[in-house]
Amino acid sequence: MLRPIVIAIAIFLNCLIIPSSAQAETPTWQSAAAVDDWSEESWDDDNWGEEQHSPWQVTGFIEAAYGQFLQDNIVSSTQSLTELRGRINVDYSHSVFQLTAKGDVLFDNVINDNQWQTRELNIAFSPVNNLDIKAGRQVLTWGTGDYVFLNDLFAKDWQSFFSGRDDQYLKAPSDSIKATWYGQNLSIALVWTPDFTPDNFITGERFSFYSLNDLAQVAPAQYFQVDQTTGSQWSSRIATTINSVEYAIYGYRGYWPTPQGMKMADNTSLLPYFPKLNSWGASARMPLANGLFNVEYANYLSLEDSNGSNPLIANSQHRFLLGYETELFKNFTASGQFYLEHTQDHQAYVNSLPMMELAVEQNRQVVTLRFTYRAMQQRLQWSLFNFYSPTDEDGYLKASVDYRYSDRWSVALGSNIFYGEQAHTFFAQHEQNTNAWLRITAQF
Amino acid sequence: MLLIIRLLAIVIISGLMSSLIYAADVNEIIKKSNLASYYAGDDGRAQARMIIVDANGNKQMRLFTILRKDQADLGDQDMLVFFSRPTDVKGTVFRVTKKMTSDDDRWLYLPALDLVKRISAGDKRTSFVGAHFYYEDVSGRNPAEDNFSLIKETPEHYVIKATPKDANSVEYAYYHVTIDKQNYIPMQVQYFNPSDVAIRELKVLKLENIQGFPTVLHAKMTRLTDGSYTEMQFRGVKYNIGLPDSIFSERSLRTPPKAWLK
Repeated sequence: MLRPIVIAIAIFLNCLIIPSSAQAETPTWQSAAAVDDWSEESWDDDNWGEEQHSPWQVTGFIEAAYGQFLQDNIVSSTQSLTELRGRINVDYSHSVFQLTAKGDVLFDNVINDNQWQTRELNIAFSPVNNLDIKAGRQVLTWGTGDYVFLNDLFAKDWQSFFSGRDDQYLKAPSDSIKATWYGQNLSIALVWTPDFTPDNFITGERFSFYSLNDLAQVAPAQYFQVDQTTGSQWSSRIATTINSVEYAIYGYRGYWPTPQGMKMADNTSLLPYFPKLNSWGASARMPLANGLFNVEYANYLSLEDSNGSNPLIANSQHRFLLGYETELFKNFTASGQFYLEHTQDHQAYVNSLPMMELAVEQNRQVVTLRFTYRAMQQRLQWSLFNFYSPTDEDGYLKASVDYRYSDRWSVALGSNIFYGEQAHTFFAQHEQNTNAWLRITAQF
Repeated sequence: MLLIIRLLAIVIISGLMSSLIYAADVNEIIKKSNLASYYAGDDGRAQARMIIVDANGNKQMRLFTILRKDQADLGDQDMLVFFSRPTDVKGTVFRVTKKMTSDDDRWLYLPALDLVKRISAGDKRTSFVGAHFYYEDVSGRNPAEDNFSLIKETPEHYVIKATPKDANSVEYAYYHVTIDKQNYIPMQVQYFNPSDVAIRELKVLKLENIQGFPTVLHAKMTRLTDGSYTEMQFRGVKYNIGLPDSIFSERSLRTPPKAWLK
């Protein structure tokens, strides 16, 4: 395992030459050079790194990441993560608008692919007082859960989450228009995504999963065909704060973000697809007993199977979440969540399965615990996050340690451990995907 | 004999009276000092930078802009902190509603995830973004949490000892604060452990009068146990700029109010 790490680091160090030469050529890299003005010599000067004079700002990072499966896995690679990523962020600030462009050059050795990924490319402006518009590719998040999403149906990247990439990659971007109106202690947000953006879900390319059709662990990768969905998504939220309690109500009109349905293709075989989904819900978040308490509810209406009679389409659900977080002692934060997923028309769903034993319980429950400890003036962070389902008797443990050597260099080490009693349950089906990873990042 | 008793009585009574005067004085001094340190003007803006130096001499930097508005002098306050450096925290915004009668409300906006994270009020005596300054040092400690006594008076300074009412809520046993008699700015604060050893020290290195308000422009917080420290500098300080209440909201986290940050 060491040798690939050394190679990754060597490639990584070589790549550092690229940004430094670019720095010399492009005037917009001035802001990066301003970091050097922050050296101790200039500390007593009045030179603060005058990047404010330029409306352009260019920042970014280079990251080398390596991860390996800790068990035999049927996917083609033995590595869960081997990549070199160069991120560039370009911001242009004008008094009436803001342009944001963020992109990654990714050399991904797990799937042998080199690509450019546009992370964000958007314009933000306020056409009238009280109204903010953000149009273009953007990352969107709302809701109160910690790694648990109810009313947040914006695209997630589960492959990144499983592989140990930085948390920001858990959210996949979407091409959307977001309009937010702000009133007296009230905000109304409406998001339109003209082209439905699904999650980056598990396909077998990087991680294997249990197939209810084959009754076996599978890794179809490129053979995982999904019927494409053309349609748009609408998401909305109304939020207010009264006496330190944040309240929000949500609405969604679109599709299940993962292919929760099967339909006939070419009259010969069944193809997974994204059935229609509407949802509504509410949340509250408030300080309580020296900590923070949150509660959230969502009602998922699976429109194409509203009475649960279609065995090929996911049923409607009630989703419910309770959470509490507190600082137990200095620099040590603990949080817990209880999540309940109630499947409606459960008997119809059970009858649709090839074997009753494969059924998810009508009230699937998940308990999560998170412990975070910060040491060395917050430069070292230990983190432990565990999902455990008492109904599925399975779980998922994410452990990591993050060390910030300097403002430029940081290194993170962690693992994704899946466990459980049975081969098919939500987390246990990923047991083979259990992996450990390492990332080294240089900011510029 | 009678004379001696009478003299003794006078000494005791005058002693009692002077300590009573002191008690009244000391709270007045702390009030004025708190006002001068954290409530200058009705609102204000400042650009700040910090250099964080660990025991091995390794350095980190932070650059941010602060907007503050007082609901009332010595009362509740709203604060926004916009980070611009280092590059990995650029766009991160910290929002606090400081409350006198209940826990502060605190939020952190993480732009990479478009996430508004609420932070539990909990322990205010944890490092502010990795610096030697605590959250409480930046926003101000509620004077109601300490008992004060005047231990020394020089022609220029008051030296006041502060003892926490709840000893378990803090990491020190008591602290000494040296307050400038002219402007009531605490020029030095020393924190002691139960063995009377100074463990932490704040020193004001530069003070200037801005719009009639004495303003700290350079301060240093040192952890005396290992010599590590953080220096904080301010510039572009302006008071009474007329910040509207509406900018202290979730909107400013996602869309920083540029007009007020210049």
